[in-house]
Amino acid sequence: MSKMLSVENLSISFRTDEGVITPVQGVTFSVESGRTLGLVGESGSGKSISTKALMQLLPGSAVLGADSRMTYTDKSGKEIALGHMKHGSKELRRIRGGEIGMIFQEPMASFSPVYTIGNQMMEAIMLHRGLKKREAREYAIEMLNKVGISNAAARVDQYPHELSGGMRQRAMIALTLSAGPALLIADEPTTALDVTIQAQVLDLMRDLQRELGMGMIFITHDLGVIAQIADDVAVMYLGTIVERGPAKEVIRNPQHPYTQGLLDAIPSLDHLHDRLKPVPGDIPSPTARPKGCPFHTRCAQAISGTCDVQEPQETSPLPGRAVRCWLHETKSRSAA
Amino acid sequence: MSKQNDTLIEVRDLAVHFPVKTRKLFKTEVQMLRAVDGVSFDIKRGETVGLVGESGSGKTTVGRAILRAIDPTDGEVIFHRKKKGDIDLAHASEAELRKVRSKMNMAFPESGSGGIKVHNLAGDLLRAFRPEMSLVFQDPYSSLNPRMTVRDIIAEPLVASGKYKDREKIDARVREIAARCKLNLEHLRRFPHAFSGGQRQRICIARALVSKPKFVVCDESVSALDVSIQAEIVNLLKDLQEEMGVSFLFIAHDLSVVAQMSHRVAVLYVGKFVEYAPTEKLFFQPKHPYTHALLSAIPTADPDAGFEPIRLQGEIPNPLAAPSGCRFHTRCPFAKERCSAEVPEWREIAPEHFVACHYAEEFDFSRGKRS
Repeated sequence: MSKMLSVENLSISFRTDEGVITPVQGVTFSVESGRTLGLVGESGSGKSISTKALMQLLPGSAVLGADSRMTYTDKSGKEIALGHMKHGSKELRRIRGGEIGMIFQEPMASFSPVYTIGNQMMEAIMLHRGLKKREAREYAIEMLNKVGISNAAARVDQYPHELSGGMRQRAMIALTLSAGPALLIADEPTTALDVTIQAQVLDLMRDLQRELGMGMIFITHDLGVIAQIADDVAVMYLGTIVERGPAKEVIRNPQHPYTQGLLDAIPSLDHLHDRLKPVPGDIPSPTARPKGCPFHTRCAQAISGTCDVQEPQETSPLPGRAVRCWLHETKSRSAA
Repeated sequence: MSKQNDTLIEVRDLAVHFPVKTRKLFKTEVQMLRAVDGVSFDIKRGETVGLVGESGSGKTTVGRAILRAIDPTDGEVIFHRKKKGDIDLAHASEAELRKVRSKMNMAFPESGSGGIKVHNLAGDLLRAFRPEMSLVFQDPYSSLNPRMTVRDIIAEPLVASGKYKDREKIDARVREIAARCKLNLEHLRRFPHAFSGGQRQRICIARALVSKPKFVVCDESVSALDVSIQAEIVNLLKDLQEEMGVSFLFIAHDLSVVAQMSHRVAVLYVGKFVEYAPTEKLFFQPKHPYTHALLSAIPTADPDAGFEPIRLQGEIPNPLAAPSGCRFHTRCPFAKERCSAEVPEWREIAPEHFVACHYAEEFDFSRGKRS
C-alpha cells in the first residue's frame, strides 16, 4: 500500500468584511491506496473545506497558507502539487474526476435536472476513458448495474427526479466511479438517507473500494458511520485535527478530551435511562477562535496558564496515534 | 388515578388519504394515496411516545393529523380534558378546535425540497395551534421568522391566543420560559440569524411551550443538530417534561435518540403500525422483522458491535401501490405465502406489546445489553 495523498500544514483563510478568518489551520493527514480515512467533526469544523481545497473548489476569496503542501501521486506514479493548478487547465480537468472523484451529500443538487442520468455519466466516461458514445452508454449501464440499480438499461434514460433518494445516491456513486478515480472523496454521502438505505450504501461503498483498490476520504459527523467504514480517522475541531489514528483504536480508546466528549454524547441503546452527556458549551464562532488550544473553552481538563496561552503540538502518546493536547504533552515530557 | 384519567390523547383508526391526480391523454385519474391507513394508539399524561419509520412511512402525517394541521380522512383523535370533558378532535368544529389547539404544539423538518417552512405557517397555522397543543420542527433555520426578534417569536403564541392583553404579563411569561430553556435573557431583543443551530432549537422549544401546552409534537426536532447539541436538546426536553408534565409525540428516524426520549415507541411502515411497545421491549425483544431490520441498520460507534444484522433489500414501496397482505412482505426475509395474501392482525402478544405479523411468536430477535 502506497501513500497516494499527503497533506501537510494546510491552512485556508478567507478575506471577509469582518477581517480574515482561518477556518482550517495546520491540517496534516495522508491517505494510502486501498484505505479509508474518516474525517469527523461538528459543523463548522472545516472538514468539507479541507477536501474542497484538494480539488480547487474553494471560492476566490480563499487563500492557502504559504507553507501548505498537498501532494498527490497519480496513477502513473507522478507527483502532483495540488492547489496551484491553472483554472481550466488540462491538468486540472484530468485530476478532477479522473484521478480524484467526489460525492456530495445531496445528490439532487449535484446532478443536473435537465439531462438524463445516462447522459451525465456518458459525458464523464467519454472525457476520462476516451470511449465512443455507444461504448460509453454500455459502460454506464454496467456501472449502474454494479451499484445495485435494478433494471439499469431503463434507468439510464431517466432523469434524476425520477429516482428515489437512495437510488440517486447510488447513481451518483456510479457516475463518480465511472471516471475511474484512484481517490474518492465522499462528503457526508449517507447523511440525507434513511438508516436502512444508509446501511446499503455503506456496504456498497466498502465493497467497491475493496474491489477497485481506491483510496477514500469519508467525511461525516457520525462516529457510528466511521466505525463501520473507516480504517483511519482524523477528528477535527475548529479547523484543526485534534486526534488521528486507526479508527478502531481511536473509538475504543480516545486520547483527546474532545474525542471522548463526542463519543460520550452519542445516545446508546444500552444505557436507556442515563442522561446524555453533551460536550459543554457552544462551538466558538470562526471569527473568535480561542487563543491557545481551540478546545480549552469547553474542556473540563483544561490547564489554566497553559491551554489558554499556547497551542499544543502534535504528540504521539501511543504507537500509530497522534494527539494535539497539553495533557499528553506534559505527560510525555515528565516521562522523559 | 384511574386509567381513563391517565390518558391524554386517544387515537383510533386514524386514516389520512390524499387524492393524487394523474393526467392521462383524455382523462384525469384520481388515485387515493393512503399516507396513514388505520393507526391506533394512546398517549398518557407526561409520557413521550416515539414514532419511527423510514421517510415516506407517514410519521409526519400522523403528527399533523393529530393536531388537525391536516384533516384526517377517517378515525378519531380524542383529547381528554380533566375539567371540560373529552373532545373528539377528528370531528370538532373550527371554533372548538381553536380553543384546544393552543394546548398542543409542534417543533419542523428540514425542508430541502418544498417541505413546510414554518415562517410561512406563522399566520394561520400557528394561530390555530395555540394553548393546548404545539409543534417543534426539525430545521431551526427555516422555522424562525428572520424579521422578528426572539422575544416576539416566543411571545407569538400568547399574543395570538388573545388571552393575554397585557404586554407586561406576556413579557414575564416569555422571560420565564426563555430562562427555563436556558436562553440568555439579554439576547431576547436579537434576531434569529445571530444564533447557532442549538440556540435556535431552544427558541423553537420555548415558543412551543410558552402557552403551557399539554401536548407537543416534536417532528425530527433534533435530527439536524450535531451530536453534542442533540444531546443537550434531548436533556432539555426531558427536564421540561418532568417540570411541566407535558406529553410528547417524538417523531424521528434516528432510533437511538428515540430510545433515549420515549417511554413507548411505535414503528410505522407505509402508513401502518407494525409494532408498538414500551421502549425496552421494542429495542431488546422486537417481534416484528422490520423493527429488527431497522435496529440492525443503526451504525454503532462500537467496532465490536455484536449481533447478527439483517440487511433489507430495496426501498420502501410507493404508498400509491402498497403491497397486498402484509405491506412488508416484499422486503421481509422471512415472508411466506400467507404474508402476501392475508393482512396481519394488529394484536397484543404481551401486555402493552402490539405487533402486526402472522409469525411474531416464532421470531426471537432479542439482543443482550452490552455494558
